[in-house]
Amino acid sequence: MRTTMFTRTLFVAAVAAVALVPGAPAADPFADTVKTANRKLVKVFGAGGFQRLNNYGTGILVSKDGHILTVASQLLDTSELVVHTYDGVRLKAQVLATEPELDVALIKIRLDGKKIDEPNGLDLDHFDFFEAAKRPPAEAGDWVLALSNTFEIALRDEPLSVQRGVVSAYAKMAGRRGVFEFPYTGDVYVVDAITNNPGAAGGALLNRKGELLGIIGREIKNTQSDTWMNYAIPITAKTDIRTRVTVKDKDGKDVEEEKVVTLTMPEFVKAAMEGKYKKFERPKPIAGAGGFHGIIFVPNVLERTPAYIEDVIPGSPAEKAGLRPDDLVSFVDGEPVISIKAFNEFIGKNTRAGTAIQLEVRRGESLQTVKLTLAAQPGKAPVVPKANPGPEKK
Amino acid sequence: MLRTVFSARLWAAVAAALVCAAPAPAQPKPDVNEATEKAMKAASAKVAPAVVKIETAGGTETIVEPKKGGPPGAPPPKGVRKGVGPTTGLVVSPDGFVVSSAFNFANKPSDIFVTVPGNPQRLVAKIVATDTTRMLTLLKVDAKGLPVPEGMPKADVEIGAWSLSLGRTLDNNADHPPSMSAGIISATNRIWGKAYQTDAKTSPVNYGGPLISIDGRVFGVIVPASSRAEGETAGVDVYDGGIGFAVPFEDVMKVLPRLKEGKDLKRGLLGITPQTADTYNVQPVIGSVQPDSAAARAGLKVGDKVLEINGKPIPNYSALQHVMGPLYEGDEISIKVLRDGKEIEIKGIKLSGTVTAYVNAFFGVLPMRDDPGPGVEVRYVYPKSPADAAGIKVGDRIMKFGGATPLPIQNRAALLAALQRAAPNAEVKVEVKRKADGKVETLTAKLVPAPEDVPEKLPLPSSAGKALEGQPKPKDPMPKDPFPKDPFGKPEECGTCAGAQDEKKGDKKDKPKVETGFVNRSDAALGREYWLYIPDNYDPNVSHGLLVWFHKAGDGGKDGEKMSKTFREFAEDHHFIIMGPKASGNDGWVPRETEAVVQDVKTVFGQYTIDRTRVIAHGQGNGGQMAFYTGFNARDVFRGVCAVGAALGNPPKDNVANQPLSFFIAAGDKDPLLKDIVEGRDLLKEKRFPVIYREMKESGKEYFDLKTFEEFLNWADSLDRI
Repeated sequence: MRTTMFTRTLFVAAVAAVALVPGAPAADPFADTVKTANRKLVKVFGAGGFQRLNNYGTGILVSKDGHILTVASQLLDTSELVVHTYDGVRLKAQVLATEPELDVALIKIRLDGKKIDEPNGLDLDHFDFFEAAKRPPAEAGDWVLALSNTFEIALRDEPLSVQRGVVSAYAKMAGRRGVFEFPYTGDVYVVDAITNNPGAAGGALLNRKGELLGIIGREIKNTQSDTWMNYAIPITAKTDIRTRVTVKDKDGKDVEEEKVVTLTMPEFVKAAMEGKYKKFERPKPIAGAGGFHGIIFVPNVLERTPAYIEDVIPGSPAEKAGLRPDDLVSFVDGEPVISIKAFNEFIGKNTRAGTAIQLEVRRGESLQTVKLTLAAQPGKAPVVPKANPGPEKK
Repeated sequence: MLRTVFSARLWAAVAAALVCAAPAPAQPKPDVNEATEKAMKAASAKVAPAVVKIETAGGTETIVEPKKGGPPGAPPPKGVRKGVGPTTGLVVSPDGFVVSSAFNFANKPSDIFVTVPGNPQRLVAKIVATDTTRMLTLLKVDAKGLPVPEGMPKADVEIGAWSLSLGRTLDNNADHPPSMSAGIISATNRIWGKAYQTDAKTSPVNYGGPLISIDGRVFGVIVPASSRAEGETAGVDVYDGGIGFAVPFEDVMKVLPRLKEGKDLKRGLLGITPQTADTYNVQPVIGSVQPDSAAARAGLKVGDKVLEINGKPIPNYSALQHVMGPLYEGDEISIKVLRDGKEIEIKGIKLSGTVTAYVNAFFGVLPMRDDPGPGVEVRYVYPKSPADAAGIKVGDRIMKFGGATPLPIQNRAALLAALQRAAPNAEVKVEVKRKADGKVETLTAKLVPAPEDVPEKLPLPSSAGKALEGQPKPKDPMPKDPFPKDPFGKPEECGTCAGAQDEKKGDKKDKPKVETGFVNRSDAALGREYWLYIPDNYDPNVSHGLLVWFHKAGDGGKDGEKMSKTFREFAEDHHFIIMGPKASGNDGWVPRETEAVVQDVKTVFGQYTIDRTRVIAHGQGNGGQMAFYTGFNARDVFRGVCAVGAALGNPPKDNVANQPLSFFIAAGDKDPLLKDIVEGRDLLKEKRFPVIYREMKESGKEYFDLKTFEEFLNWADSLDRI
């Protein structure tokens, strides 16, 4: 106890020494940071203005020619995209590429009489995106500044709105818009300032020193807590995209194959800047119940019926793995199973015949780990001829 | 030895830091935020091992079922959805006890699992007990040696200090740092002294987690809370709103032994209500004592003025709520009251967790009104009532009433007050002077709870026509507040104070003749409008009931003539004034209009002789909701609420002796709201309010049918039943 007190005193002394040097009044470091950052951001105007879709947003300049990073929203569904730079200059812009699974788009300023891909002579202040993407991600507790045209308060040459907060968490996105799951499921910065409001999407999340951390996202609800989220997509974002590719089989014939490709934000930005970004072919949605486990659950009568096992089908993977009646399936591959419905959804979405899953089941007062390899649905041929086990290593 | 080495090393590190920190003249100015940022992260890291992740299975999607009704004008309350993610808890005892917010279990999950940082093994958790006043739940897992965080003593908590809210919802990995939001302590002693307030963001993301200081000590456990509502979800609607709450860690540790015993903790109740609605400007006087309550057992009495509780001075009712708010069932208090000019101190009053609802006792007569007494003439005897059984006849005069030794009764108000003090099954002695032969007899009757039916026909006249007689002449020409007293609070005073007021005003010369008929009133400055219908036979010597009609949405100001025609005959025969306030918006009534309406009602009290036992809030649809709302929020004014085709919405408040409220509820059997209306009726009955409910056949959202209308009129004219 004594030691604790002692070290605390030391700690306080050290803090005081850093903060209060005699004769050197502390500068307020936010002012310069914000002034510099404002010059690297634009207001974006596009489609919307009806129902509850706003026709304004924010964008981040990432090149001197006017490449702008923003979110992939309905705002961009127009041929008359307009941006206002920090000094109030009104310029036309054009979408180069969008990627919903990173929730990002790259647009570019287009000057009259110039082609979109030829040098335009602009020399705009901008963030060095690729340099910023090399830095390690921020962590919970880091102080951040968020700049955006939230609620379209800033007009023409007025500076954007700045908010201060801390990174609440750097964690997996679990969002939904209405009843739809959000397409991006990678890590996000959740912040404790109320940043995500109309017009804020596409704004910049900066660390204390003004370094770019992420792109402020949209207004969506967090399915984990059922609360509105305040988040930004990190510039280091990474997502696994399930795609369809055509390959030659051993007889030299073209066959379609499903593949998981990892895409990072820097890869997207680079390809989009070079005009080389191609959208991935999405696989056709597969109807089916995923792999076969052979568990018979208790009747699913409640909104969230707990996944209690009523019986297991003889000879099924469940029986082979030793699952028993009255076991409660509590976690599948580490994900909590809040209900029978949630379990079925997980199996349908993530598994096929041959997929190995790990269950944690509550039996009495303890949790048991059970591994089972799913089989083909009885009476059905496997839906996908060839399953790809995981992301392709690059 | 080891410690010495460690300290020495630390010294060296600090010295190095000091050297580095000393700026060379050319270097940039120091960044004031850097140290704070570091300290915040260090504080979080210090507490993080005690911040656990809680996962659940089963339970419901929504915590509160969406309900129709609610306060008038308000959107229907939405159910609170429970997120699917993990929630947060805080280790409070090394042997596996974890405290969390009751909100996290409000959806009644079937299974609970806890993950302690540093141990990937999920542990099965059981709910041990819930503290229903601070909305905390204690969990137990099978574990040993868990880290308990250091708490911040309550005395050391200062407003303005940095505060960080930590949670486990966002990041599924309990070995990562918990989620953080940074703010400061906004206030202490909030929610009746039970919580700290912070502007750090609090939400389902961190309910159950700790609110910590910048040196890594725990201020408290984060919970949703509201000073205006109770329950697991109260205050969730303002999540992330800059108003968050945490229950002091010191308080949590204090009740931990009791929670560990597995008994749910309830708020400690005394069982009194104040005499007036003014909670700030007057020292509280006990207006009612609930039967079977701690107050009743301790011998507290109506009229006692509360001076001190537990040695703390009680200048007003709000202070009383602050002292009582943090207390639990079983806690003992001492209370000092002023009774008959003497200070009495009662010690060792053990608070109870529940209070039996007050039940209005019923004798079975209607009194003749406006009779200065002594005694009360019987206007009507309810068939098969205790009065009937005892042999009371119409015209008899009740002279004495009470338990073993009946007390003399001056007038109607005194008799009503005597009845309010009696239990609903008490045996009473009644001395009557017979009308027939003037003989004085003492009868015995056993009281019953208030009936649920209405007399079929009421005899007239109902008034002796002497409302202005026998009233004490005021010494002061005009009291500052024209309505300082509730006639039920001080039974020795007049029963028709409005009449007395009228007379006081009448001291002025050349009193203008009162207006009768249909009158429009408006106050342009305040933007308020209402109409009045005063029967042509109005006589200030006859006290009048006041029926306040809350119109349907959009009908404001349009239905006045129609309504006064509807009620004309009744108003003349039974002496009622009809009043029609107007909602300011076209969409109907909103709760905040209550205050203005009550102001206007009090103005009418000042101008006419009003019988305060027959003031009724009556409305249809949205107006009916407003009638419920106004009735409950101006209980010093209203004695009856009649709603047609309107659901109760908010849960009803308690029934109390000194501010009785009777209900007449009517609904069409085809009204889509029928289920909610019936539910509201049942809630009122649970609270033991006298409720008359009529379902009208082949009716949807219409006003009364003829039969129900007549019943309503008889109910309205019998509100002063005794």
